[in-house]
Amino acid sequence: MITATYTGILTLAAGSFLLAAVLIVWRRGLRATISLLAWQGVALATIPIANGVHQRSWMPIAVGIVVLALRGVLLPLLLARAVRGEDQGAREPTPLVNTTAALLVTAALTMIAYAATRPLIEHSPTPGTRAAPAAFAALLIAVFVMVSRRRAMSQAIGFLMLDNGIAATAFLITAGVPLIVELGASLDILFAMIVLGVLTDRMRQSFGDTDLNQLRELRD
Amino acid sequence: MAGLLFLPIAAPLVAASLAAIFGWHRWTAIVTALSAMAILGAGVTLAFFTDGESVVDSHHLVRADALSSTMLLVIGAVATLACLASIGYIDAELADGHTSPQAARLYGVLLPLFLATMALSVMAMSIGVMWVGIEATTVVTAFLVGHRRTRAALEATWKYVIICSFGIALAFLGTVLVYFAGTTGEPGNHSLDIDVLLSGAARLDPRVTSLAAGLLLLGYGAKAGLVPFHTWLADAHSQAPAPVSALMSGVLLSVAFYALLRVKSIIDLTLGEGFMRVGLIVMGLLTLAVAALLLVVQTDFKRMLAYSSMENMGIVAIAAAVGTRLAIAALLLHVLAHGVAKALVFVSSGAIQGAHGSTAIANVRAVLARSPLVGSAFTLGIVVLLGLPPFAMFASEWGVARALAAQHFGWLLGTMLVFVAIAFTGLVRAGSSMMLGAPQAGDTPFVPPRAIGGTLILGIGLSVALCFSLGPLTNLLDAAATTLGAGR
Amino acid sequence: MKRDPVASGTAVRSGTGVASGAPAVSGGVTAALGALGVVVGLRAVFGAPLHASIGWLVPFAGLRIDLDPLGGAFMALTGAVAAAVGVYAIGYARREHWARFPLVMLPVFVLTLLVVPAAGSVTTFLFGWEAMALTSLALVLTEHHRDEVRSAGLFYAVLTQIGFVAILVALVSLSSASGSGDFAGIRAAAGDLGPALRNGVFLLTVVGFGSKAGLLPLHAWLPRAHPEAPSPVSALMSAAMVNLGIYGIVRIDVQALGGGPRWWGTTLMVVGAASAVFGVLQASVSADLKRLLAYSTTENMGLIAMAIGASMLLGASGLASVAAIALTAALLHLVAHAAFKALGFLAAGSVLAGTGLRDLDRLGGLARRMPYTTVLFGIAALGATGLPLGAGFVGEWLLLQSLIHTPQGDNTLLSLVIPLSIGALALTTGLGIVAMVKAFGIGFLARPRSEGAEKAREASPTMLVGMALAALGCVVVAVAPAALGPALTRVASTLPSVGGDQGPKLGAILRLPGAAGSVSPAILAAAFAVAISLVLLLARWGVGARPAAVVRPLWAGGGPALTPRMQYTATSFAEPLQRVFDDVLRPDTDVAVTHVAESRYLIEKITFRTAQADAVEEHLYWPVVRAVAAVARGVRKAHTGSIHLYLLFGTIGLLVVIVVGR
Repeated sequence: MITATYTGILTLAAGSFLLAAVLIVWRRGLRATISLLAWQGVALATIPIANGVHQRSWMPIAVGIVVLALRGVLLPLLLARAVRGEDQGAREPTPLVNTTAALLVTAALTMIAYAATRPLIEHSPTPGTRAAPAAFAALLIAVFVMVSRRRAMSQAIGFLMLDNGIAATAFLITAGVPLIVELGASLDILFAMIVLGVLTDRMRQSFGDTDLNQLRELRD
Repeated sequence: MAGLLFLPIAAPLVAASLAAIFGWHRWTAIVTALSAMAILGAGVTLAFFTDGESVVDSHHLVRADALSSTMLLVIGAVATLACLASIGYIDAELADGHTSPQAARLYGVLLPLFLATMALSVMAMSIGVMWVGIEATTVVTAFLVGHRRTRAALEATWKYVIICSFGIALAFLGTVLVYFAGTTGEPGNHSLDIDVLLSGAARLDPRVTSLAAGLLLLGYGAKAGLVPFHTWLADAHSQAPAPVSALMSGVLLSVAFYALLRVKSIIDLTLGEGFMRVGLIVMGLLTLAVAALLLVVQTDFKRMLAYSSMENMGIVAIAAAVGTRLAIAALLLHVLAHGVAKALVFVSSGAIQGAHGSTAIANVRAVLARSPLVGSAFTLGIVVLLGLPPFAMFASEWGVARALAAQHFGWLLGTMLVFVAIAFTGLVRAGSSMMLGAPQAGDTPFVPPRAIGGTLILGIGLSVALCFSLGPLTNLLDAAATTLGAGR
Repeated sequence: MKRDPVASGTAVRSGTGVASGAPAVSGGVTAALGALGVVVGLRAVFGAPLHASIGWLVPFAGLRIDLDPLGGAFMALTGAVAAAVGVYAIGYARREHWARFPLVMLPVFVLTLLVVPAAGSVTTFLFGWEAMALTSLALVLTEHHRDEVRSAGLFYAVLTQIGFVAILVALVSLSSASGSGDFAGIRAAAGDLGPALRNGVFLLTVVGFGSKAGLLPLHAWLPRAHPEAPSPVSALMSAAMVNLGIYGIVRIDVQALGGGPRWWGTTLMVVGAASAVFGVLQASVSADLKRLLAYSTTENMGLIAMAIGASMLLGASGLASVAAIALTAALLHLVAHAAFKALGFLAAGSVLAGTGLRDLDRLGGLARRMPYTTVLFGIAALGATGLPLGAGFVGEWLLLQSLIHTPQGDNTLLSLVIPLSIGALALTTGLGIVAMVKAFGIGFLARPRSEGAEKAREASPTMLVGMALAALGCVVVAVAPAALGPALTRVASTLPSVGGDQGPKLGAILRLPGAAGSVSPAILAAAFAVAISLVLLLARWGVGARPAAVVRPLWAGGGPALTPRMQYTATSFAEPLQRVFDDVLRPDTDVAVTHVAESRYLIEKITFRTAQADAVEEHLYWPVVRAVAAVARGVRKAHTGSIHLYLLFGTIGLLVVIVVGR
């Protein structure tokens, strides 16, 4: 693959990754969010696959396929199944931050991300590294989602977005961490999401719904 | 040698599989306790092989040096106490109907898995595998914290998983950045190995490394209970069953701190000592302050003990910031002594909770008169935690003080001691109101189950044994401090 | 108001299964340790220092014992007190049915008291110091089934810890700057230390060691802990443990640092004078016998601190001979105080065991029922007043002489400080007489004011022997201070910066060097004895010439027979004094009038309530505690329980790291 195409694909992938994150902030419904998450997983998987094709090495391609299966297919399916049990439709209750303010915060976080990742680009100015700010911005936006969503499932989705952002950053700036680490990280995220799913279920049984504002009994 | 290195991970895995197949029985619980003792034994044996600066490894998967051996000792000692206590604890819960056989089976599987993940973290060859181990501890302990299925336990579990996973994810990003700082594009399966990073540390890009350092400090600090990711600690440690609280407070926090120490030794070679030192001082002092102030206004004794753990992690962070040989050796002794004492106190508080059905300080009175064993164990544990002689935490805190003074950190020492004195007040007040006094109407004597009673006696014995300056132990701690590059 | 400590809770206190011989073993071991301490201490004073090293305790540091004359003197003094208390404790513990734990802790406490003066390194010193705090706390909490005891224990623990923090920071800074952890090494390197460090160490040691010695401002643990602790423990604490506060100041500031600028001595004198006046004032209005004795400890420690401060000030001003007099005064008064305070507390314990009371307003008439205790308390009270023939006389006289004989010349500082100190000393002595007359007169003489006092029984033989030992010490110091002369000279010679061994000669007649002044307690005592015997002889000789005695009822002003309610009480005795010093004492008084239900013109009951709190505690400690509690509540409010807020904390941390870490 020639470099220009490779750069273009990376930029496109990183861009869609970031766009998915912004759209998740904008759309508050759970079903839409999960579809956007799946889309983000696909964008994420494109990066190592493109890298593998560019460098004619099978390892990143294999990693990309695993990532696609896990974050693009498996986890969104698990989430969708968990969400099906959610009553009151898929509308998010009154958010902590209204949409306009949220989008403004998103813009600010993107700017911060671009400023913060300059040392990375200066250290190694490859096409991948140049696209890293977008992934980092998506990471910060994911943190914002975790902080501002009232539904347990939304917060879990925010966490998954965070992990996606970190994985994207990792794939963009390096050719991927050693395989065993990547496998371990993937397993961890899978188990973490399972745990969060079970907890959401138990929460629904104990509290009635999954509004996180109810979790205020434990305090000094 | 390979067998010895894999034993601390394999033995608990075997115990976990047995528990998964056969469910909770007394003998599976005893096997778990034996696996904990195996970890302790492995630590003791490895201590002899890793004397000085030598390192042993096997198949490029696991690695042990003096620091790893020390951590295995800590894990093994505290785990033995906690697993022995679990036997009596779960049996009592099953008898009272507070838990079901399925929940007991889950507990029996997760507890040894927890031990295995901690052992993996301290013996990992690369900082990437170390990260995997620490993240795994969060996942494994989630349902241990939520064992009791109450609303409060559920709330605590959710907060624990979310906040810790958030932090640990940041640590992963930091790890990736370290990898990035060193490689400039060439991947390799061994680039994250500790020894490789140590030898190539001078060549890492400083600006990328400083960003990575900040993220690693935040991330592993989250698991160690340092500000600003400290907010899960009191909830999780107070809602978990007492043996789990003992393990989490006594050793999981220290394992997370072990991870910090490892990355610090690499980063100090790249950026010089000053960077991590400032970060650790700020976080450590804030943690100490928040923990001490919240401790004095506590009404729940398990939360109070959790804040005491947080306070001690603040002290450990400040000692790590100083970074001299004396400071690190004292830090490790502090971690060991604190682990044993905290386990002792948590197991006795579990017995107290079982007898009263609540964890409110106001509801507990005259324990010394009503149960001499539980009362003495709790009191002795508190005395050790307060840093009073002749116990080991006096020696460790005195060592930290000397290290601080030698590096001209007198102001830091003074501030640290003021907050320690505030925490002292809280612990003495709560301890005296719970332990002392004459029994009133309604305060009946109580006897803990035999397994718990045995654990308490063992814990008391261990705390007393640590008073003495055992030559091999002191040499080991010294060697561990040296391997961290603290030759100053 | 005060629950009878003897009757309540005996079932809890008496450890079931405590062997009847256990109190004897405990007391015996304590006394033996005390005797050993005296022997070893005196050997060290007269030239056989002791060195030992224990490497298997305290990892990374190890312990070191280095007994020199200064330490040996304090060790001997502690041992003497412990010997008397140990013998006393045999009978007391048996009578009060002590449980196993306090019986074990008593000898351990004495052991820690003996370790501290023998410590040769900073580690050992702090180890012994904290061990002393821990064991004494355990003993204070002997009767922990009472609420007041638990709150007193908490107060004591916290204040001790604060003092310990001050001492620790001072000693660790000193040892790291000197490059040595041993006191010998610190002494050698002291000349090279900068003034900022020296001044900082001085201030911290005055605060920290002063707290242990009962000096203002961190003294308030004394009047709280002593009344609630068992009396043998109070005696040990007041007569042996507080001395170690003075030991710390002498060891670090006078010996190791070798003295300092003049403001050091002045500061110590101010602190000492304030403690002395405040302490004696509180003692004179206190109606609780043990609280009175506790405040008297503050007073006497204040006088000793004043004497040491004077010697430092005079030594720094170049007046070595007067400085030496002041130093001798301090050391002598230290011994005297140990003797009469130990005796006072042991006697108070005997009263408590015999009557179940320590409230002076309810005691009285003990002279007939507990004659030996009365005589022994009388000796202690006489010593505490500082009158001639009392144990405290020689020390206070020497201090007064050193202040009077100071050539002030053109020195403004001395011209200001000396007259004020003399005034403070005089005021203290006067008020001290009031306090002790109240304690002795109201508590022991006249008629019993309550049933408990009426049913008083005398102390058991071992208790009396213990008290007699302490009384022996009082008498020796009072009449023959020459016996202490050689030891005091040896100790003073190790402190060259405050005059060294140019002090007064303590012979049968005390002579002051270079000053016109002398006194001879022995001759005074002899003269007094002769005079009394003459009077008695004359009285008996004159008896034959007089008619036989006839018994008639006492004139009671025409009213009904005398009742005990017509006597002075301790509160009324001190009331004029309380009124004079109202601004300093600020007692809390309350008068509640209850009217008859049917008519407001008739009064059913009037209740008068007065409570005397410690003014320093009210205005210094509680504001600090309230401030800390307010900050703690603020931090608690920041932790609302909302996970979103918690995650926000983390996010802020992340943003800070991203911005800063570039």
